[in-house]
Formats: sequence, C-alpha cells, structure tokens
Amino acid sequence: MRDKSWPELVGIQVKSVLQLKNVHKAFSGVPALAGVDAALPENSYISLLGPSGSGKTTLLRVIAGFEQPDGGEILFAGQRIDGVPPHERGIGFVFQNFALFPHLSVAENIAFGLENRAVDPVTDTRVVAAKVRDIIGLVGLSGLEGRAVTQISGGQKQRVALARTLVTEPSMVLLDEPLGALDANLRTRMRGELRTIRERCGVTFLHVTGSETEALAMGDTVLVLDRGRIAQSADAGTLYGRPASADVARFLNCYNIFSGAISDDAFESPVGRLALGGAQQKSGEPAYAIRYDRVAIRPLHASAAGDEVRIEASFVASEYSGAAINSFFTLDDGRVFEVETHLSHAAPETFEEKARYALVWKREDALVFV
Amino acid sequence: MNASGIKLGLGLYTMLFIVFLYGPLAVLAILSFQTGPEGGPQFPIIEWSTYWYKHLFGLTPPSRIAPLPIEQALIRSLTLAVMTMIVSTVLGVTAAQAFRKKFRGSGVVFYLIVLGMMVPGVLVGLGMALVANTLGVDRHWWGTAFVLHVVYTFPFAFLVMLAIFNRFDPSVEEAAWSLGVTPTRTFRKITFPLIFPGVLSAMLFAFTLSYDEFSRTLFASGRDLTLPLAIYGTFSVEVHPNVFAFGVLTTLFSFALLGTYAVLMGLSVRRARRMAIQEDT
Ligand SMILES: Nc1ncnc2c1ncn2[C@@H]1O[C@H](COP(=O)(O)OP(=O)(O)OP(=O)(O)O)[C@@H](O)[C@H]1O
Ligand SMILES: [Mg+2]
Repeated sequence: MRDKSWPELVGIQVKSVLQLKNVHKAFSGVPALAGVDAALPENSYISLLGPSGSGKTTLLRVIAGFEQPDGGEILFAGQRIDGVPPHERGIGFVFQNFALFPHLSVAENIAFGLENRAVDPVTDTRVVAAKVRDIIGLVGLSGLEGRAVTQISGGQKQRVALARTLVTEPSMVLLDEPLGALDANLRTRMRGELRTIRERCGVTFLHVTGSETEALAMGDTVLVLDRGRIAQSADAGTLYGRPASADVARFLNCYNIFSGAISDDAFESPVGRLALGGAQQKSGEPAYAIRYDRVAIRPLHASAAGDEVRIEASFVASEYSGAAINSFFTLDDGRVFEVETHLSHAAPETFEEKARYALVWKREDALVFV
Repeated sequence: MNASGIKLGLGLYTMLFIVFLYGPLAVLAILSFQTGPEGGPQFPIIEWSTYWYKHLFGLTPPSRIAPLPIEQALIRSLTLAVMTMIVSTVLGVTAAQAFRKKFRGSGVVFYLIVLGMMVPGVLVGLGMALVANTLGVDRHWWGTAFVLHVVYTFPFAFLVMLAIFNRFDPSVEEAAWSLGVTPTRTFRKITFPLIFPGVLSAMLFAFTLSYDEFSRTLFASGRDLTLPLAIYGTFSVEVHPNVFAFGVLTTLFSFALLGTYAVLMGLSVRRARRMAIQEDT
C-alpha cells in the first residue's frame, strides 16, 4: 500500500467540497440511490467503487444535475445545488464514451467551454489560445490541435475529454469509468497520469470505477457504493485491511468469505468450526473472512499449530499473474476457495489436481463480522 | 440457380425499374422537341425543334395556341413551397425535440401529428373548404391551402427529425452543459450542427411535397391557382407539347434542388475530413 498522509490521522479537519445528505433517487419505483450520505474532501482524489448496477452512474448524474434526486440534499462549496441546472453548477463531467463534439477539432473542443459558457466567457481569442495551449501541454496532446476528434485514438480522446473539462477550471470533476474504454496497458499508464494532472490542478476528482484495483490504486479516499448506499468510506489501506462488511470484502475480490454464526469461541461455518482470535468488526451480517494472501497450502498430513486454523480442500487449478500465483480449491460444500502465493516468499510449488491439501492461516489474520 | 443467373436476374430487374422510372420522362422530353405550332403531342416527330420552349417564354410569333397561363401559378407555388418548408421544418424540429423527453399524452400527440399525412387529401381539402365557408373565411393559396400544406408536410419533417434524434447521443449536450454553457446556446452550437443533415432532408421533403400537392390545394386554394392546378387546367382544353417542354424544365429544376441538397450534405460531411487532411500535409 502507498504511504499517504490521511488527514484524519494527522488530525487536520479538511473542508469538504461536496456533501451528500440522504440522497434518494428511484426509477419508476425501483430505488437506484437509497439514501447516500458522503462528504468529499477538497483537493483530493476520490474513487467510487461499486458493482454493476449499484447506482454509481446515477449518483454522478444526480451530482452533475442531469438527473433530479427524489429527496435529500446536495451541498457544493457550502451551497445547496439540488434544483440548480447543470450549467450553473460548475462541476465538470468526463463521460465513459468521452462525448466529444464530433464536428469540432481537438482545439475547438477544448476551447468550447471557455468561449461559450454563460458566466465569464473568454472573448479574447489570444487568451483562449494561450489557455488551450497550456492545457494541451498538460495532458500531452501537443501536435494534435487541428485534428478532428473522430481521427484520434481512444487514449487521445480521453485526454481531450479531460482537457476540455479542466480548462474551465471547475472545483470538482466527476469521471464516469474514464478508463473503461481503454485497453489494459493504456489504462495502467493513464492511472498515473490522471493522478498527476489532478495534483497539478488542485481540483477534486470523483472517479467512478467497477475495478477494485483501480479504485484502491487511485483514490486518496475510496467510497464503496452498494445497492444505492455508501457501504464504506476509507483510505485504500484501511479499506483493504478492514472492510466494513462482508459485502465490501466481497467487492474487494481478495477475501474468502464464509457465512455462518458465532458460538462461544468459534465461528460455525459450512466447512466446520473456525476458531476465533482475530479482529472483530461490527456489521449487520455475521461472516468470516480470510484474505487470499494470508493462507498457506500444506500437505494433508501436516497439522496446524496452536494459533492456526486449518481446513481441507481439493486442488482445482492455478493461475499465474506475474508476481503471484492464485490457486483455486474446492471445499467440501462445493464452494471455491482462493489462495494467493507471492513468488518472492516461496518458489512456485506444483499441486496435484483433485488431491486434497490442508489450508492453514493464523487465527488473528481472519476478519470476523458480527 | 447459379451466381451468374442471379446477376442476370437482378440486372434485368434493375433495367425494368429504370425503364419504368425514366420511360415517361423520356417520352415527355422527346415530344417536347416536336416542331410547332402545327406539331401535336404524339409520335412521330415531324421535325426536331425548340419551338415549344420558345413558346413558353413568349419568344414565338403569335399563333392560334395561347401561351401557358402558368407564370403567376409558378410564382405562387414556389412561394407556397418555401413558406411551407420553413414552417414545417421549424415545427418538425421543435416537435421532435419535445418528444425526446417522455411526457404525458405523448402517444396521443404523436398519432395526432402523423394523422396529417395519413388522411386522404381530397377529404381534408373538402373539409377545409366547408369550414372556410361556414366561418366566412376567404379561401386563398396563402391562407387555407397553406395551412393544409403545413398539416400535410409537418408529419414528414417530424418523422425525419425523430429518426435523427433517435440516433443522437444526448451526452454531448450534457457535456456542454457541464462546461457552463446554457441549454439554448448548446442547442445552437452543438445540437443543431449535428442534426443539420436531418434538417436538410426535412426541408427537401416539405418543399417537394408542397410544390406538387394537388388534392388538398384543389379545394382549399380558392380563385388563384397553384402550378399543379394550372397545368391540370390546360389539359381540359387541348394538350400541346408546350406542357411537355414545361415538364422538362421543372424536372431540371428538381434536379437542381437535389443537387443543392447533395452539395450542402456533402459539405457538412466533408468538414471533418478536410480537417484531417490539413493535419496530414
Ligand atoms: N434512465 C434509467 N431508467 C431506468 N432505470 C435506470 C436508469 N438509469 C439507471 N437505472 C437503474 O438504476 C440502477 C443503477 O444504475 P447505474 O447506471 O447508476 O449503475 P452503475 O453502478 O453505474 O452500473 P455500471 O457499473 O454497470 O455502469 C440500475 O438498476 C439501473 O437499471
Ligand atoms: Mg455506470
């Protein structure tokens, strides 16, 4: 995890640029947002993570003013903005499909907001040209100024969309899966660039993504949206290490999760009694979670030490992903159990298909939701 | 059937299609070069001449055949077509824009609009004449007939624009709003340029439909005739090849109109390409 100075740790009270209070929105009776509460700190990078259909796009569109909320309050820079039309909000929006103006060139796309906005339009063409030149340099589009936007690559379109928004100097930019349309290589490169560009402009980015790695890598703060509610709001380290509920842990895609119930000193799970001893987390639904990379694979005859938990499972397959191997096992109840082994810790072992192994972890490494 | 057989069949079909499409026109064009004033509107061509074209413009010595009484009618029809085109296109664009958002009763309003092109023209024309009589309103080509032309062509413009807006990506408008641009200015600078090819098509529809509208105009236009009515009127006396000469000229005019449409259409498409070419050189 990245080192960061999470303001609350240092004890600084940051001003929040955007506050959402109990925001509701339903589409023909089906709730998409079911009471969203959040406060987004100024000058920071915030990722909004959630599974498909959890209401991420709806939330961004409500903040931008493209959709009206059914209830609740939205405060932007201390002012209530629900009911204010989108063009008076001063909030930038970067669309997943970029939504560039197809009849304008790259430079004209970027200059459009400056020249045409209702408040304080820039009429001096030299000032416009200078600003456009600066922002084109910032996002790395030099040389493409006169090109039609239908004649540039996906990554370049992404930069035009960003430049077009940033040049109008909004205090907040909403990005709806801005990297979703790019290929994997470019996506990784753009992650770093987005962070750098944001730091130089000093604006708040609210970046929607369905990818947990992207959310964790980019956000100073990560908001997790689940079924129209904010399930957790934390920095990446906290979120990864201490998810607030079994559902959040499930989205992070790095925990094996058992449902069941607590009895005395153990967790009654479908695969047997798992001894307690680790951190306990208050949440609605009892569950037992163990991170993929905290589990060791041992031969069946090996027994567990006193502070360890041991279950048995049969090996299915492994998957190499660069620095780690992910091994998949089936438990006795048929469910899949995943183990991540970092290759710096151990040479890759080969396991026999359908053979049974012991899976062992330290009691204190497990996270128990009560 | 083998591939060359299919080809032959399709070729034959296309030939027939072209013959039926252009055959009448060709006959018209050939007969318009009949000699005058003694030559009639039938084969064989006694002698090739441009007599009837000159006759149209009053350039021939006076004869027993009167010049076509269509000069005023032509001006009327053109004016009416332009008026109809402007009003129907504006109505069509704004109505289609309104239909982008679902509103209560939108289904009913849709069918009410489309009805204008479905109901038989003779009935509407007759109905308009009756209404005008009852209300004591005079019938004129620029009044009662104009209203009927709009009612008739507006649905076409509306449907064209509806199809255009169906394929229109509304997120470019939202992008403009989020840059601080008002919805009105966004429509002018973003939406309109993008739907312009559709607007051109709507204009073309409205103009041509109004220009040769007959049945509605017949009852609703009153004393002063429009071009189709005037031409029809000449048939009831005696047909001379000057009508054919006129037919050729109006066809040429239609081609010119289509040409203008194609050029304007091409310009809006080529704009993007031109920018790309400048970039490459
Ligand atoms: N315009 C709409 N009309 C009706 N229902 C809608 C509309 N927009 C969204 N919904 C519904 O609201 C819910 C949330 O949708 P939303 O688009 O916000 O999800 P999302 O989190 O952005 O998903 P994804 O990751 O797939 O983009 C979904 O159940 C969706 O079907
Ligand atoms: Mg979405």
